[in-house]
Amino acid sequence: MGQKRGRDVSGRSAVRSAREPVAWGAAAVGLLLLLWWLATAIPDLVPPRVLPSPIDVVLRFVALIAEPFSGATLLGHAVVSLERWGIGVLAAIALGLPLGIALAWLPPLRAVVTPGFELLRYIPPFAWVPIAVLWFGATTTTQAAIVFIAAFPACIINTQLAVAQVDPILARAARTLGAGSARTLAKVVLPVAAPTIFTGLRIAFSNGWMALVGAELVVGKQGLGFLISQGQINDSASTILVGMTTIGVLGTLIDAVLQRAQRLALPWRPAAARRFE
Amino acid sequence: MTPKMEIRAVSKTFHARGGEVAALQPCDLAIGNGEFVTVVGPSGCGKSTLMMIAAGLEAPSSGEILVDGKPAGPAGPRRTVVFQRFALFPSETVADNIAFGLRVAGLERAETERRVAEQLDLMGLTRFRGAYPHELSGGMQQRVAIARALAVRPEILLMDEPFGALDAQTRTVLQEEVSRLQRELHYTVLFITHSVEEAVYLSDRVVVMSKGPGRIKCEIAVPRDAPWRGLEIEEAGNHASFMQLKREIWELIRAEIVRH
Amino acid sequence: MAQGMPGSSPRWAGPAPGADLTLSFWRREPGRAQWLAIAAASLAAAGAIWWSATRPDGLISPLFLPPPVEVWEAFVRLLSRPYLGSTLGQHIVASLRIVIGGWLLAGLVGLPLGIAMGWWKRVRWISFPIFQILRPVPPLAWIPLAILWLGIGDSARIFVVFIAAVVPWVMNSMQAVDSIDGILVRAALTLGASDRQILSRVVCRTALPTLVAGARIALGNAWTTLVAAELLAATAGLGYIALNASRTLEMGILLVAMAIIGVLGALFSIGMHLVTRWVAPWARSGVAT
Repeated sequence: MGQKRGRDVSGRSAVRSAREPVAWGAAAVGLLLLLWWLATAIPDLVPPRVLPSPIDVVLRFVALIAEPFSGATLLGHAVVSLERWGIGVLAAIALGLPLGIALAWLPPLRAVVTPGFELLRYIPPFAWVPIAVLWFGATTTTQAAIVFIAAFPACIINTQLAVAQVDPILARAARTLGAGSARTLAKVVLPVAAPTIFTGLRIAFSNGWMALVGAELVVGKQGLGFLISQGQINDSASTILVGMTTIGVLGTLIDAVLQRAQRLALPWRPAAARRFE
Repeated sequence: MTPKMEIRAVSKTFHARGGEVAALQPCDLAIGNGEFVTVVGPSGCGKSTLMMIAAGLEAPSSGEILVDGKPAGPAGPRRTVVFQRFALFPSETVADNIAFGLRVAGLERAETERRVAEQLDLMGLTRFRGAYPHELSGGMQQRVAIARALAVRPEILLMDEPFGALDAQTRTVLQEEVSRLQRELHYTVLFITHSVEEAVYLSDRVVVMSKGPGRIKCEIAVPRDAPWRGLEIEEAGNHASFMQLKREIWELIRAEIVRH
Repeated sequence: MAQGMPGSSPRWAGPAPGADLTLSFWRREPGRAQWLAIAAASLAAAGAIWWSATRPDGLISPLFLPPPVEVWEAFVRLLSRPYLGSTLGQHIVASLRIVIGGWLLAGLVGLPLGIAMGWWKRVRWISFPIFQILRPVPPLAWIPLAILWLGIGDSARIFVVFIAAVVPWVMNSMQAVDSIDGILVRAALTLGASDRQILSRVVCRTALPTLVAGARIALGNAWTTLVAAELLAATAGLGYIALNASRTLEMGILLVAMAIIGVLGALFSIGMHLVTRWVAPWARSGVAT
């Protein structure tokens, strides 16, 4: 039977079920892990190159931390990836944030930028990989460039939207009180838009991280993406799984840290409606 | 004679993180067939909760709801509801909204069409039958909601502050319309409002609730043959008996608001 | 807040055109004609810069950025003769097949699952944590595993596209059901609808625009992922063309491939917007992502 909100259950079950979701979720994940282990424990059911047992994956994880594989330890590869990602997103923010604000604040600028931007926006970041390799060679710059291309549109669009969605009545009120355009922007509009801008930046960061992995798969000599592609070449599924997990965990951590930072620095509620990516 | 609807010893306690919150003390209320009963009370007294329980949308912590002397069961078309926020289905046209309850019940096409047309005509909506809710003003939307609730020929009509979200002018028009409908069709109605004027104008009986957690404080009868019945609300408001009732009820509520 | 300016997509929101003449030029919204003029001038300027910078004595070597003429010639060449074993049409179909196939498969699985997760608490409690764990792993990170498991064939790419599309399908469908105002469910209950009737008549219909939005996002993800997958594991397709053209330094063909990729992406997006309009004419346009 549907358990939608419309049906009220008498208050009692509300208290008990605070812990229920967690229990079910943990049970589900636990069950999957169990099935995984069982599948690999039964001899000859699944070849180890296709699906290593959970134990193997853990062992591989430890091994990769201790010894280098394809040029660096797990940590080494992760650091390289993070570096490239960092450069790319910083560049995207440095360019995208001011541009997004300017586009929201100065309508004629929109007319100038929109056509070109819309034309380029639909080219996925990875379609830029071949040309980026030609321009920058197989270096960190290429990776950072792909991260930039992945993060930049989200930066600029979400920043522009965040500023544009600030209630125009606030700007008008500021004008009637004698504030000039620049001051209105800086003191009134931007603080109100800041939480939403930050949320948009988080999306951009996440896009950048996802794109980095792809770029490292195609080109480059180090990094987590490189690591998992090497795992494939060497027929080591456990390496791949360790790499994938590390990528996922790092991505989540980065976002969690940023969320925390947002809550501490910008504790007021964003004005815009929730968006989901 | 068995009352049409009986609210018997109904109370409600919510369980929140801090502990228990009593929203409603045990209440008893009987509504006779064809009677228009309005519940008024200070904000937070629990009148909306009472309405939700009466509609079968929430379960009481104690007590029961009886219809024709038997337990009422879960929410259903025997007791339809008109909500303050209209609650029209945005993906359906006016006609489809009105037809919803009929289609759900599996009523045959011709009869459904007939009843929908009847309701459209009754509420003055025929011109708008193909419009979507978001294209209509608040007053029109509420008319559709009323039409939808009436189309299934409910035994009891429940109205939860139906005019609270409307501007004053629209409210007046709709109040007069509901009054007209009641005089013509004699529905059994349970009405919630915090407008005392509205309560006196529309009802046969006004029930005053105490401050939250609420209980029924007292009931005041509004004579059916009062001289101002059938007049526009502006005119009615000038009659001495009307003003007297208003004052009486308002004093009762005010006493609750300033209590403690 | 007014909707988008004339001639632009709704996301470029701003005040109504020409509304406030007391503002300076830079703060004022241009009228429709002005807007088109500025846009055209900007495109023309960009084109002119491109042309002059890539002239034989210009700033940019043709190996970095080919002149417009070369790009046009490459386009004509691709249209007329097969490239790397298939005609342009066949390459495009190869890409489209995988992307649409993976996207539809993901929808087949993701849409009902997402709705179920939105409607029944238990389904959500079981499935949501699993998706939360899978979500941070970029779809592309699955490619090596897919190649290991399935080889460099169509199925590896469909698998990766499926993974890329299934998460938005599920999450957005769940959100769509979730965000339905509870009062509508209550109203339906009072009108006598059973749970199943509420689900089909009220919930699914009201959630339709949001569900289509989820489908659109899924398609965007699928397309992005496909292009990457083709860089790694393909023998035909637009990404494959781009990769090879970059290796053989055929810059014109590379740019044409990129442009076609972009155009197809845009067509997908526009197409999905039209589908939303067609399927739910009653929905007001919201903010798109």
